Amino acid sequence: MAMLEVRNVHTYYGNIHALKGISINVDEGEIVTLIGANGAGKSTTLNAICGLVKPRSGEIVLENEAIHRLPAHEVVSKGVAQSPEGRRIFGRLTVQENLEMGAFRRADAGAIQEDMRRVFDLFPRLEERRKQVGGTLSGGEQQMLAIGRAMMARPRLLLLDEPSMGLAPLLVEDIFRVVRQLNEQGTTILLVEQNALMAFSVAHRGYVLETGRVVLEGTVDELRENPEVQKAYLGG
Amino acid sequence: MNVRQALRNGFIIGTISIFIILLGLTVLVGGIVRGWFDLSSNALGAWVLLGLLALLGGVNARRNTHAASWKEAAVAGLAAGVAQGAMVGIFVGIVATLIDSGTEVRQWLVQLTPEAIDLLRFGAAPVAAALIVFAIFTLAGLLGALPSYASAHYQWGAAFRSWFWGMRDQGLDLPPVAAFREYKYAPYIVYGLGLVLLLIAPQLLGRYWNYTLGTVGIYVILGLGLNIVVGLAGLLDLGYVAFFAIGAYTVAMLTAPAPHNIGMSFWLVLPIGVVLASITGVLLGIPVLRMRGDYLAIVTLGFGEIIRILSKSDVLTSFTGGPRGIRAVAGPSLFGMDLSSSQHFMYFIILGIILVAYLTYRLQNSRVGRAWMAMREDEDVAEAMGIYTLKYKLLAFAIGAAFAGFGGVLFASRNKFTGPEDFTLLVSINVLCLVIIGGMGSIPGVVIGALVLKGLPEMLRELDDYRILVFGALLVMMMILRPEGLLPSKRRRMELHEEEPTEVVAAGGAA
Repeated sequence: MAMLEVRNVHTYYGNIHALKGISINVDEGEIVTLIGANGAGKSTTLNAICGLVKPRSGEIVLENEAIHRLPAHEVVSKGVAQSPEGRRIFGRLTVQENLEMGAFRRADAGAIQEDMRRVFDLFPRLEERRKQVGGTLSGGEQQMLAIGRAMMARPRLLLLDEPSMGLAPLLVEDIFRVVRQLNEQGTTILLVEQNALMAFSVAHRGYVLETGRVVLEGTVDELRENPEVQKAYLGG
Repeated sequence: MNVRQALRNGFIIGTISIFIILLGLTVLVGGIVRGWFDLSSNALGAWVLLGLLALLGGVNARRNTHAASWKEAAVAGLAAGVAQGAMVGIFVGIVATLIDSGTEVRQWLVQLTPEAIDLLRFGAAPVAAALIVFAIFTLAGLLGALPSYASAHYQWGAAFRSWFWGMRDQGLDLPPVAAFREYKYAPYIVYGLGLVLLLIAPQLLGRYWNYTLGTVGIYVILGLGLNIVVGLAGLLDLGYVAFFAIGAYTVAMLTAPAPHNIGMSFWLVLPIGVVLASITGVLLGIPVLRMRGDYLAIVTLGFGEIIRILSKSDVLTSFTGGPRGIRAVAGPSLFGMDLSSSQHFMYFIILGIILVAYLTYRLQNSRVGRAWMAMREDEDVAEAMGIYTLKYKLLAFAIGAAFAGFGGVLFASRNKFTGPEDFTLLVSINVLCLVIIGGMGSIPGVVIGALVLKGLPEMLRELDDYRILVFGALLVMMMILRPEGLLPSKRRRMELHEEEPTEVVAAGGAA
């Protein structure tokens, strides 16, 4: 029984047909990755799940409940949170305030404190800088903050959009270690990546997107063996 | 040691000085100073003005060359002094020669009266006059550079700069200030003194100042409202004056004998005006708040003009009083006592400011305030974090409009009059400017901004035609020197001066 089902979703930006019938499933406890080139529709898929982009047709079902008609701010309450592409932290709010914004829909002050503790345990750098404004953090720290902020919603499904973008290799390792850790603690993760090598090292299954369509799907091992994938995404 | 940089600073000041002489500002300032101190000539005032400029040349040269010793500071000051002295000296020499030879310079340069040059000549012949001017400007450049270096070199200089650049929290106060800050009751003393001052001030001030500062106070209320819309929620509203107008027209139409003769009491109308403005804010907000940035600015600007033109329209004259406005607007009274003098109104306005400032303060530090700030930063992400952005935008619009309506009620009621010309686009622009000048998102900033923007032009009234020029120059300088505003919120300081605190702390520690 899939936790999230995206069924034949079509979206448009004006007249541009961005997603041309995407269907993906994510099971509870999995890390599923979407890989593909620029413009393949990876981020649009995540935004459609979040409610930021409305599908023109098709449906998105989270635990038997259709969420594709809900406005974005209500999708959060259903247990879906996104760490957006390019981080997009609130540059003029402090680290702590950024994290508090992640928990905006929640009223359980005690549990929010616990979750903040959890974020700081995963990313000690953020605790050191909790009073600093987000815009002055380094790229890596901002990425940690973006993930931490999404975690503060206590999501059951966490959407990560290119967490490795623009980061030094060592930081990328760090971020992916945390992704794995979060998954082991019970968060289901849908991971969008251009860095297929890294994505395959943490994910269970994956989908390959090209120009708004799913062209391949399978377990990570299957994808890794696939000559097309090797050629296009693994540099070999 | 970058002498060219110092020379360039001198040339800038030289150019400004010549420009000021050409405009006749020296004569004007000289006249004002003569009037103050009962002097016999305008020369002193003129020279004070030019002398200050020349000192500034030295200060700038020292600062921009980063002179690191007394000698370098002296060289920088001297270089700037020579440059500005040469420019102004030659200028004075040439014009003096022309005048002496009987040429009518005013046919090209209308403001350049013979007096403007006579003031600077000390009765000397052209060449001698040029040399005197050169010497004075050079000396002033040097004199400007040295104390400027001292202030950069010693601790009190660092303390002053840290204050000026808005880093008071870095602990670089002057020793007595720091000691006072440590004192347990310090905040109570400050607030207590402030309160006493506010209570007695309207008694001490005359009618004129009560009226002028009352206007400033009303702009503070407007500024606090717009501060929520623009500063916190990040919605650029250029039609803010519309809500001000609605408050003013509500009190006017419901209390004045003409055109409706309803004659309601001020106290009843006050909440009605506030609520009406707020409702209008929401009604305007619903269609336009889906737009962003520039588009929102243009639509709101249009709305502001529509309200003004409606109030002026001939068709509605029987309803709004038309272009002639509405007279005899009622003021407040309490237990049969009439409280509508500008002195009494000053108390209302002070109370109003305290109330509005308190509300703003509470909102700013609440969940709502944080939602606004997140929305201002990134609307999509805020939405994805679970913030219903449309709701919070409407809330910002409604609260901002309510404050403006409140200001409008006070304004019309105090003036006992309201008319379309009180609500031009310039009001919106002024309020926006005062929010920016004071420091976006900062409550004390709005107060200072209103004082500077509405109070200063009033104080500069003696400069009559020049005041807008001077004022414009002040604004430009201000935006270059202090983009974050005069009293920025802590948050803005953190953004704009991120690297400087460490530097200043290090300098302070070493001294």
